[in-house]
Amino acid sequence: MFKYIIRRLLQLIPVIIGISIVVFMIVHLAPGDPILMMLGEDATPEDYLRLQRIYGFDRPIYEQYLRWAGNAIQGDLGVSIRQGAPVSMLIYSRLPATIELAFVSVLLAVLLGVPLGVLAAIKRQSPVDFFSMVIALLGVSMPGFWVALMLLTYVALNVGWIPMFGRGGSVFYGLWQLITTFDGSELYDGLRYVMLPAISIGTAMMAIITRLTRSSLLEIMGKDYIRTARAKGLTERVVVFKHGLRNALLPVVTVVGIQFGAMLGGAVITETVFAWPGAGRLIVNAIQQRDFPIVQGGVLMMALIFTLVNLTVDLSYAVLNPRIRYD
Amino acid sequence: MNRKVGILVLAVVLVFGLGSAVSAARPDTIVIGSGAEAVGLDPRLETDVPSFERINVIFEALVTFNTEMELVPRLATEWGFSDDGMTLTFWLRDDVLWHDGEPFTAEDVKYTFDWVLDGDNAAPNRALYADIGVIEIEDDYLVHFHLDNPNSFLLNNIARMPVVPAHHGERGDFRTNPIGTGPYKFVNWSRDDIMNLEAFNDYWGSEPIHPYVQFRPIPEASTRLLAFEAGEIDMYQGGMVPQELPRLEDDPNIIVERAPGTGYSYLGFNTKVGPLADVRVRQAISRVINREAIVERVMNGIGTPGVSPIPPTLPWFSDDVFDLGYDIDKARALLEEAGVWGEDLTLRLYTNENPDRIRIAEILQFEAARVGITVNVTIEEWGAYLSRIQDTEDYDIFILGWGGQLDPDRAMYRQFHTDGPNNYTFFSNARLDELLELGRTLDPTTQESIEVYTEAQQIVVENAPYGFINYTEEVLIYHPHIEGITVHPYSANSWQDVHLVRKN
Repeated sequence: MFKYIIRRLLQLIPVIIGISIVVFMIVHLAPGDPILMMLGEDATPEDYLRLQRIYGFDRPIYEQYLRWAGNAIQGDLGVSIRQGAPVSMLIYSRLPATIELAFVSVLLAVLLGVPLGVLAAIKRQSPVDFFSMVIALLGVSMPGFWVALMLLTYVALNVGWIPMFGRGGSVFYGLWQLITTFDGSELYDGLRYVMLPAISIGTAMMAIITRLTRSSLLEIMGKDYIRTARAKGLTERVVVFKHGLRNALLPVVTVVGIQFGAMLGGAVITETVFAWPGAGRLIVNAIQQRDFPIVQGGVLMMALIFTLVNLTVDLSYAVLNPRIRYD
Repeated sequence: MNRKVGILVLAVVLVFGLGSAVSAARPDTIVIGSGAEAVGLDPRLETDVPSFERINVIFEALVTFNTEMELVPRLATEWGFSDDGMTLTFWLRDDVLWHDGEPFTAEDVKYTFDWVLDGDNAAPNRALYADIGVIEIEDDYLVHFHLDNPNSFLLNNIARMPVVPAHHGERGDFRTNPIGTGPYKFVNWSRDDIMNLEAFNDYWGSEPIHPYVQFRPIPEASTRLLAFEAGEIDMYQGGMVPQELPRLEDDPNIIVERAPGTGYSYLGFNTKVGPLADVRVRQAISRVINREAIVERVMNGIGTPGVSPIPPTLPWFSDDVFDLGYDIDKARALLEEAGVWGEDLTLRLYTNENPDRIRIAEILQFEAARVGITVNVTIEEWGAYLSRIQDTEDYDIFILGWGGQLDPDRAMYRQFHTDGPNNYTFFSNARLDELLELGRTLDPTTQESIEVYTEAQQIVVENAPYGFINYTEEVLIYHPHIEGITVHPYSANSWQDVHLVRKN
């Protein structure tokens, strides 16, 4: 197990180097120019050349890459061209909001999606099954930004305590505060801000999880060992939850892991609609402004996080199914 | 498992039940919902409108524009050019303090403009001040700008550069933790979420009415509007969904104020290569721009049809120019005269992802087809688009706009002078160059100045390097409980007088 983790972490090195080269090339070879973006439509050629020299864009591209990569290895992702602040600090300041939104959305999707899927599978062909499948179909079909606007128009506008935009307190810190001091105010403040963005992201994911849980559980319930379990006289509850669901959850965990990892890269559209100060908006704005250091640093960080989440997902298989071993 | 879920649901319900039901903005705070986040807060480095919305509250310039577009005193009480036009003198207020309590002096003025002019510093707008030679301090409150070249419109550019403190200007974090002289001082900033400002009690002008100002960037216009209608923000700033405007104007609980703006959008023609090198072809295309329909249908009545490069808000504006109004028959006649009628004329039109511009391009495509011209529209991402226009000649027609055209020099020299830095149409006309150079040396308040620019406008319109589409209009939206604010032609509001705003 330990060896496996080490091996996986070592595999990260070429992946990260590859990503860094690809991102650097895409960013520099794509049309668009950070100095022009900064100067806007008023640019004069003299100012252009002057600023190009100041920011080092007049150097050959391989030289720019080596300089950037050399600093990045030492943990220095450079300084944002437009904002003048260190890239690592800019990304770091966005991570809490991003992780919080991703976490709450996934939690919501799993808490609703798995039970709904299980219910649909056990009561197959019943109205319950039909109902969950309609919900799932709706969830997959509704685009996230539309759900977001509907929630704003019909929920937030009519319910006074649900805010339209922005982020309140930290949910994680609020939870800690609730546990340690029984003070729920921070958690309440965090939740009322995060809930609409989380619902609009979580809806589609919940739908996917419901369908996946249902089909996976149905498949497992037809297996021989389930018949054996039933023949042993176990209660239906034990059969479904201990023998069925545990195995059925493997593909669900894979999907949830990938989705969670992707969301850490920022749910840009939802973040924009709800003015949520997450990492996605930082990176997308940086792409629009051709703020190369933020784009390079941001994508690199996201790639790193994504691969680490994937590793965690792979390791969690062993917990769900002890027959899976890593050597 | 079911029990656990039940407990969790219960817990969530309990937690939500705890708080009281208030989300409206606090009464002691003016909350401004802004269309985009600021890039930074250093007036020397920023070029975007959202940054200046905040900078204008924290900092002040020597002179500034009022809503009539006249220059009025701010940090300077008086100013004037020497008789030869080569020295510009400012008499400064002697009762101004920086937010850290230090007095504001001529030293700060010299420091700010010297810094911008220093080629080793990354000031993007250096070109606006390039005519300033040496800045001489006579005493703490009297400063002379000795010019290298006469430039009667330099004051307008000086009005766009707030003064920064010499004793803080080199601080590394000045851009995100600034010190100014404005009515509100910077408190803290969580990027893309909230910026908090607090009243500066030693402000030299009238005391700020409300103790706090908040800027909240909400990029999505629909969300911003909903937040405004729900009362979470007091004022709506930034781009508007034009389709929503009629509804808002009918709503008695919302005040919509409109004023003619200082910008315009246009079709730019590549006058250097291809069929558009012929002035008659350019005039013909200008003739197929259905300006009324574009203003009515695309802009939902916001703005007015375009005529010339100078907005009607400026005294130099003249509509006594060559008529290139919408007329399909005349366009056809011009094409016949140019000898391209009936030929298979195909032109490449470029625009960025701006939805208004895309719709204008579609309308133009349709109208041009009526005179036998095929227009191929390519939509590019803003950065890529800007590179194409500024770095290449690889286009026939493009759609762009100019904002903040505060004087005729700014509205014409860079765009149409043979050596103009933003002459993307490669237009060249000897008489026009002469007029634009002359205009810079004339007193802007004289009839002579008006005559020079009237002739210049006539040359530009007749030779049609641009096809003018529409003039902008500024729209400001606020609640009736807000007092002391009016729409500003420069941008919906510059927020420079937000300390005079009262929220009842």
